[in-house]
Amino acid sequence: MKIQVNEQVVEVADNTNIERLLLQLDKPLMGSAVAVNQEVITRSQWESYIINEGDNISLFQAIAGG
Amino acid sequence: MLFEDMQSKDQLVIGDKSFTSRLFTGTGKFNDQQTMVAALKASQSELVTMALKRVDMQHQDDDILAPLIKNGMNLLPNTSGARNAKEAVFAAELAREALQTNWVKLEIHPDPKYLLPDPIETLKAAEMLANKGFIVLPYIHADPVLCKHLEAVGCAAVMPLGAPIGSNKGIKTADFLEIIIEQANVPVIVDAGLGSPSHAALAMEMGADAVLVNTAIAVAGDPVAMSEAFAKAVQAGRQAYLSGLGGQSTQAVASSPLTAFLEASL
Repeated sequence: MKIQVNEQVVEVADNTNIERLLLQLDKPLMGSAVAVNQEVITRSQWESYIINEGDNISLFQAIAGG
Repeated sequence: MLFEDMQSKDQLVIGDKSFTSRLFTGTGKFNDQQTMVAALKASQSELVTMALKRVDMQHQDDDILAPLIKNGMNLLPNTSGARNAKEAVFAAELAREALQTNWVKLEIHPDPKYLLPDPIETLKAAEMLANKGFIVLPYIHADPVLCKHLEAVGCAAVMPLGAPIGSNKGIKTADFLEIIIEQANVPVIVDAGLGSPSHAALAMEMGADAVLVNTAIAVAGDPVAMSEAFAKAVQAGRQAYLSGLGGQSTQAVASSPLTAFLEASL
């Protein structure tokens, strides 16, 4: 199925959870944060949250800053 | 009292953490990761700021987190980029997940030219975040009234500016920082604009509890050496404050006896 990740269309398998999505996108688990349809998904939900078709996913990452 | 003896009895407590070093540092603007880590180590800083950004799907960013964690630094994510309270709360919630800390440096500066903090949105966001259990350290103008409001809504510290972010202009807000420090019941961390070690020392002599420095270290010719210079300045300023600075006077006050012994012997 197709979902949007940071405005890009990404194809994922059914029953993909957040953790699996990050691994598929080759993004580090530490330092990442995820929102689905503008709702922050806490780390404790990354395994249980199953991505739905059409979900709009925003992916953030810790970077250097002052 | 010597500094080592003084420092051991002079821990800075903010929220659930205590700090020996009163120099907090930022991680932005360094040329490379190796220099950043070396400079942060030289600073002896125990709290370092980080930012959050939307991932660029085309490029892989450097992992700067691993070396910071490896070196045992506490992380203070900021909400830089947020233009209002709603965005700042969203950014803080994301940062909490990314870095697994409920500490947040609350920054809301809608104007990119001067990056001055929006006091109304900051106060709104501070109250919301404190109610959600965050340890909130708000970046604000040197406004004593605002500081009291922020304290009242549950901020763990206040971070008034010396001058605009990255300007290196030093402490342009001294008179108001003095009022803030006098009135505060939470730690006062002078943030932004400190461009040289003497600026940091002055803030500490004035009684600030800590300072946050980023640009002045990161853009220095030798960031590692500059970092160490800031660490020494912060220590000297703190020691001077604790030692009790002498008062100022308009007229000269002699340091040597003014007896006319030369005349008498001639």
